[in-house]
Amino acid sequence: MASVRHVLVAEDEALAALAIQQYLTFKGFRVTVARDGMEALSLFEADPADAVVTDLRMPRLDGARLIRRLREARPDLPVLVMTGYLGSEDGQEDLTSPAWEPLVVLKKPVSPQDILAALHGFSV
Amino acid sequence: MFEDSSFLPHGICLSWEPSLIWLHVASDGLIGLSYYSIPLALVAFVSRRRDVAYQWMFWLFAVFILACGTTHFFSIWTLWVPDYEIEGAIKAVTALASVLTAVALWVLLPKALALPRPTELRMANQALQREVEERRRAEERYVGFFNNLEEGLFVVEVRPDGSFILDTINPAHARATGLDPSRINGRRVEEFLPPEIAAQVIGRYQACVDADRPIDYEETLDLPVGVRIWHTMLAPVRDNNGRIIQLLGSGRDITERKRLQGELVQTSKLATLGTMAAGMAHEMSQPLNIIRMWAENSRLMMAEGAMPPAELDKVLGLIAEQTQRMGAIIDHMRTFSRRDNANAEAFDPAESVRSAVELVRHQYAIKDIEVTVEVVPGNCAVMGRPLQLEQVVLNLLSNARDAILARREWDGGVVGQIDVGLRFDPMRQMVILTVGDTGGGIPPGVLPHIFDPFFTTKEVGLGSGLGLSISFGIVDAMGGRIEATNRAFSDGAAGACFTITLPAISLFGATKGGRDGVGAACPGG
Repeated sequence: MASVRHVLVAEDEALAALAIQQYLTFKGFRVTVARDGMEALSLFEADPADAVVTDLRMPRLDGARLIRRLREARPDLPVLVMTGYLGSEDGQEDLTSPAWEPLVVLKKPVSPQDILAALHGFSV
Repeated sequence: MFEDSSFLPHGICLSWEPSLIWLHVASDGLIGLSYYSIPLALVAFVSRRRDVAYQWMFWLFAVFILACGTTHFFSIWTLWVPDYEIEGAIKAVTALASVLTAVALWVLLPKALALPRPTELRMANQALQREVEERRRAEERYVGFFNNLEEGLFVVEVRPDGSFILDTINPAHARATGLDPSRINGRRVEEFLPPEIAAQVIGRYQACVDADRPIDYEETLDLPVGVRIWHTMLAPVRDNNGRIIQLLGSGRDITERKRLQGELVQTSKLATLGTMAAGMAHEMSQPLNIIRMWAENSRLMMAEGAMPPAELDKVLGLIAEQTQRMGAIIDHMRTFSRRDNANAEAFDPAESVRSAVELVRHQYAIKDIEVTVEVVPGNCAVMGRPLQLEQVVLNLLSNARDAILARREWDGGVVGQIDVGLRFDPMRQMVILTVGDTGGGIPPGVLPHIFDPFFTTKEVGLGSGLGLSISFGIVDAMGGRIEATNRAFSDGAAGACFTITLPAISLFGATKGGRDGVGAACPGG
């Protein structure tokens, strides 16, 4: 797997997105921020990232649908999901299943270090 | 004028024929005796039957017949003694009595005919007896009602001087209140109740008299049985002149029902909280996430010497803001789950509407459901409990969301729209709150049942079926109505619209109290 240099962050909470962007930029990544799933999709189409960090619950297009759409173009796209829940909620899919790999689920509240560690993990 | 000796005895005319003489003596004697016995019988009759009409007529008959009898006896006397002068005088008396009797009889005849016949009297008598029996039965029936009905009943007499006398209370009411009928019946209200309670009760009685129509209300009274909540109904009774002379009352102890209602509202509130828990967890995890990321970011960057104090100050300020955001969510949950024992108060319904919408707006946005609020300012208040109205709005919002999500699953539509409106109708003096959605509407067959308790079309575990019936109860207690209709949009979309109509009162100088508390009319919006 190629090393991850460019990260797309899909997060509707501007302050959360900003924290990730600031830290990852500081750590030498190029970071693109989208406020919802639809915006993430169009940004990815215009400028494909090496990995995606996404929230699950977002307006317009939720995290699971976004991942499915992105994987249509790049089936091996590394994805990092941030969620307030683990397991199934509201009929959400179980993202911890091996079928979703390469995918890491981080439970909120998330530590920037964990995000960094996961991205490094994808690069290995 | 007559010479005694100049006449012959009557027997001479009969030639002193013994058989003829004796025939006359016997006949006149028997007639005379009979005529003498008849007046005796008549006198005996009228003296015993003093109710017989026209008694003087019987006396007249008695005199007339007595006179006739005397003439017959005198005919025997004149067979031997020629006292024709005396006989003539007796006959004259008899003639006078006869004429008087005859004239009187003819005069009396129509009046006597007009007298009721005995059969008529008997029938009238029977009718009277039947009526008496019916009245006795009716009285028995009403007394039976009064004494045996489990409903507490009482009768209050309204004196012309304006005082109220407790006329009577039935056994059921005596049992329920602990009041002893023998000690309170016929006494003024203030004589058997403590001054404060008496004043409260008299105020209600006076309100019924002033309103001049039946009234009903709920009141909390400290009676011998203890502090209980009563649902009392009073109805005025007027006399022929239209003055209110009585109040008929019924009282029902609704303490238990009130308690259960409170429990039910509380249970449903907790159920609402339960269904909101997932959303709440999400709401909480957002600021928590921001706090952790910024705190750790700062530590990591400080370790690398890349966090100047000014930058750190900004981050700490941001973290403090996020804790406030969490505090607000927690406060809201706490307020909402708190047992609402407060009395009804005048409040601005717009506050409840905004508060409910703010609680869910973000969660719904994540599901691509937009919630819009349009409040037309009207400076109007309603009577009730703000949190309860918020609960009703939350319940309607949650139903709208469920409908939109269910429809989306079925037809794949993306757009979800919930519009909440609040306006004042100056014509009807009503505040009108609407919650509409694009969830496809309510099937016509279901529409009549949606306010029934435990009625639900949702899957097991998704709805208690109590939400709308509790909402109905809350709105009803506020003196309002809640209705559901379906609506269609020009683009083919459809949805349900719930309309809550609440009596408006002015925000200024609003009275605190029960449902009767209606202040001045609102200015138009």
